[in-house]
Amino acid sequence: MTLSDRQQRLAALRDSIANIERKPALAEARALVEHQPGEFPVLAGGLLQEMFTDERRNAGALLGFALGQAKGLLTEQRLAVVYLQLADEAQKLGMPYGPGLLSFGFDPDALVFVRAASMAELLWAAEEAIACRAVAAVVADIGSHSRLLDFTASRRLSMRSAATGGSIFLLRYGQGRQASAAHLRWRLSPDQSAQKRYDAKAPGPLRWRAQLEKGAIIKNQTEFVLGWTENGFATFTAQRRGADRHAGGAPLPRIVPAQLADGLSQTA
Amino acid sequence: MFLPSWPTDYLKRRDIQLKSPLVLYERIKGGLRLAAVDAEAARCGLRVGQNLADARAMVPDLTVLEMDRPLLEAAFADFADWHSNASPLVSVMSDVSGFGDLVLDITGVAHLFGGERPMLRLLLSRLRDLGYTVAGAIAPTIGAAWGVSHFARSQVVERTDLEAILDGLPVHALRLTPAQIAGLTQMGLKTIGQLRPRERKPLQARFGLSLLQRLDQALGHIEERMTPRLPMAERYAERRFADPIGLMDDVLMTCHDLAIQLSIRLEAEGQGGQAFHLFLYRVDHKVMALSVNSARLTRDPEHITKLFSNRSERLEGEYDAGFGIDMIRLAVSSVSQLDAVQLGAFSHQGVAEDLDQLNDRMSSRLGAMAVLRTQLVESHIPERAARLVPALAAVNVPRAGWPIPARPLRLLPVPEMVAINAEVPEGLPASMIWRRESYKIERASGPERLGAEWWRSGQRLQLVPLEKPKKGEEPPYIPDLALFEPDAVTRDYYVVEDAAGRRFWIYRRGFHQQGEPAVWYLHGFFA
Repeated sequence: MTLSDRQQRLAALRDSIANIERKPALAEARALVEHQPGEFPVLAGGLLQEMFTDERRNAGALLGFALGQAKGLLTEQRLAVVYLQLADEAQKLGMPYGPGLLSFGFDPDALVFVRAASMAELLWAAEEAIACRAVAAVVADIGSHSRLLDFTASRRLSMRSAATGGSIFLLRYGQGRQASAAHLRWRLSPDQSAQKRYDAKAPGPLRWRAQLEKGAIIKNQTEFVLGWTENGFATFTAQRRGADRHAGGAPLPRIVPAQLADGLSQTA
Repeated sequence: MFLPSWPTDYLKRRDIQLKSPLVLYERIKGGLRLAAVDAEAARCGLRVGQNLADARAMVPDLTVLEMDRPLLEAAFADFADWHSNASPLVSVMSDVSGFGDLVLDITGVAHLFGGERPMLRLLLSRLRDLGYTVAGAIAPTIGAAWGVSHFARSQVVERTDLEAILDGLPVHALRLTPAQIAGLTQMGLKTIGQLRPRERKPLQARFGLSLLQRLDQALGHIEERMTPRLPMAERYAERRFADPIGLMDDVLMTCHDLAIQLSIRLEAEGQGGQAFHLFLYRVDHKVMALSVNSARLTRDPEHITKLFSNRSERLEGEYDAGFGIDMIRLAVSSVSQLDAVQLGAFSHQGVAEDLDQLNDRMSSRLGAMAVLRTQLVESHIPERAARLVPALAAVNVPRAGWPIPARPLRLLPVPEMVAINAEVPEGLPASMIWRRESYKIERASGPERLGAEWWRSGQRLQLVPLEKPKKGEEPPYIPDLALFEPDAVTRDYYVVEDAAGRRFWIYRRGFHQQGEPAVWYLHGFFA
């Protein structure tokens, strides 16, 4: 067996493993991404994305990041985004606010707001919603960790979303990371806003700092400084004014994903 | 149908330990008097209205219980609902007592039981087998049936014999008040036959209009209506079981079959329904009702079954099949026209329908108040500007093209108090303490002054103020975001950004006043 034969065979085996795992093969996953160097990638549907932020008080930025991505997935065929929250976390995290969605650039009519009483109900609703072909994305806002939200649950969700083509965004808080089958994992934090024209004292256009922790979907770049306009994300070069102002302690050491199935990590 | 000793029969069935003779007493005008006696007690010479002490003296080994009217009335209502397996129109006649009298409208039903006579026999015998004392009558009027069942043997009264039979009954059979009966007895009018030829005017003058009304009702000269306990369903499918079933899975399988039957009927008529009700008739005289709603007209059996199975999962603990279920009925209401549509490959209608079905499914499992949509209201008060309404009932309101003010992406249901420091009282906030953490505010803009809606001042007075949640207690959920301050005060809103770039929406309640510290609240988070 020559070396090239062996490599081909290995590639074939990896593909079949990817098929068994129902994970989109790398070529497929790359086809879901439109990416220009230096820009934030445009991600298509069918991905389970975890979005972490260090503290609950960053909840506004996190929801903005998820809805910004979800807005890009809305089409005439997929006309709704389902937002899930536990009923007793409304006061901790705040509820999505119609006029606020409007000023953010998201149509409030496209948002279905589900208040689940328990984590089991929330996961049930997430699976039910992602199975519907009219749903573009499911945004699950989970303020506290639950035992029910384990690897199996995320596995189910990732398989469902890959099968139906809708995306699931799990909004999570804190610095702990559990094993999950998410395709991508982001760590998001707000950043100081840009200058507002004519009024230096007022908050200007928003800025976020997004770090891709898992899912080597884009080559070479894992950190983005993002802005938001009604038409989509805008990418800025990272410039640090003064010292590293990142609150919330030192950033976590980057987790090295296990190299499985052609570079797409399975668990990390 | 008349069940004279229903309270005691019911209690005896509920608790086998109870020994005859059994009487129930009640406190009437300060004395303990018997309110119900069972058959054996009646044989011993006890009667309703007797003093409890006398009764105890007459029958030493008497079992005595206090009468619990609300319990008995609720139980009798369940008992009445169960009879809807004979006729859909059932009601409890509460003219005389809250329990004991049951009226069924059997128009057009009797032939299902092989005629009126066999039907009456069936209804009475199945109750007698269960140990109830029961008398019944089928008559053209409600009044006549009541009178005959109380004061004559159980029988079917034809319209032609109505007057003859009524004439022989005592005047008590007219559902009169005790005062009226006493007056008639004084006049020597003991039977309806003696009363009927009398002139009406003097009778009305002496006994009031109600006497003549009862007489006319019994004779069918004027109409008497009954209010059915369960809503009348025009279309339903039902199945009876030779052996009672108990498992929820079996119920759902039957529900699926019934949904198919029902959908075939609805399709033939070109109709669809929005509300579906599943009635489970238990062997022991209880009816369980499950209802689900659909956002749009439907007759899809798969969808209906799915809704019921979701609904049943929410039920889990409460579901109790008792000794088994012997009949299941699936009824549909809110029916209107639903034409068959051809599904096109390029039509977008199917997508909206999918979404509505998803909302139905989620509402049936999580509850209708858990699946919500935002409805914008034209108001500048932040918590009034958006209402959360059940997705099943949401309608899209066209929006006016006003410029959109900067509003936060998330709003707190109840604003939280924060401590604010400013360099000068009217200046921009410089630091904030919220949830026991301090924030250095680097940038801020404001104020945006929002005044109270003076034109709603009249309505405001009618609103009940929202109770402030106690410490450690979650605030009550109110979908229509409740007014935080019923006594509306002007608020000054600021957008503030802290050193890390988090942006908050805070407001100061009221104006700065000499000597009084201003009260600040945090109301939302910007993206």
